[in-house]
Amino acid sequence: MDDMQELSVESLSALCSNLAKACSKQLRTEEAALFDQLSSYYKSKSELPEGKQFKDYSDLVLKELNSDYPKISQQAASDGDRGSLRALTWGEKVSKILRSLLDRYEKQKDSMLENTNVYVCEICGFIYIGNLPPEICPICKVPGFKMLKIQKESV
Amino acid sequence: MHAARNIRLCTKDCVCLFVCPTGATDTENGQIDFEKCLDGCRLCVDACPSHAIYLVNDNYAPPQVKSQKIKAMMLEMAENKTEQEKIASGIARDAKSPIARQLAKALAVSSRISAEDFLREAGYMLPQGDEVKKLLRALLNSQQQDLPKETIQRLLDLL
Repeated sequence: MDDMQELSVESLSALCSNLAKACSKQLRTEEAALFDQLSSYYKSKSELPEGKQFKDYSDLVLKELNSDYPKISQQAASDGDRGSLRALTWGEKVSKILRSLLDRYEKQKDSMLENTNVYVCEICGFIYIGNLPPEICPICKVPGFKMLKIQKESV
Repeated sequence: MHAARNIRLCTKDCVCLFVCPTGATDTENGQIDFEKCLDGCRLCVDACPSHAIYLVNDNYAPPQVKSQKIKAMMLEMAENKTEQEKIASGIARDAKSPIARQLAKALAVSSRISAEDFLREAGYMLPQGDEVKKLLRALLNSQQQDLPKETIQRLLDLL
């Protein structure tokens, strides 16, 4: 099958971690643990790049916003593929938020996050800056308990 | 199809204990005993006043057909997102301040979640779906040296 040659180890890792979540939802705990193992295996094959900056990340998000989302959303719309359109709609909104966060961080640096918390929506990836998570995610409308708090760790 | 309890919604009305013919709803861990639960019985599901019990499917209807084109594009989006995750994880590892590390970690988590979502829409939504089984079989046949083959084989047996 072709997919496997196309998929990077990072994508295979994400694919397996997602299937682990799907198994947990179906209360298939053994399968969930096995997919988690497989996800960790592929993650261990991934090499993290050296010397990257927030700007590198932001540039990729910008590229995605300018070319990928419009092109792929058009395809999904002409296919009448509701699922893909849904994912693309959330993804595009999240990417716009990421861009504006990174623009703000560029100007304000660490002071931007000094006396506040950082949360990530476990469903759509929305990043929220504030003391308490919102009652529902503004992007995907999942309840606030699905907002994962990201801790400050020493370096 | 067996019943399962959403413990967040359960208000301990215990009507499920009252109606269950096998005692599957009466457990110490708060979850229903899937071994005792009768396939498709659903007496507890209909009886629960808090809508805290639901049925878990063993089999799902086949998914909506997706074009090869959109599948390829969704995989491409997932690749973009995992590339972002890698960069953010690299920044987090090398970060000079706790806040820079915190932000980079949040970005890495966000990118991973988006990657997972695009992969779901590339045809890998259901673990027991044909696409997943095809992929697992292909992985099993790959040449990677230290591949955890018994993990993959066990998954194929279970799904």
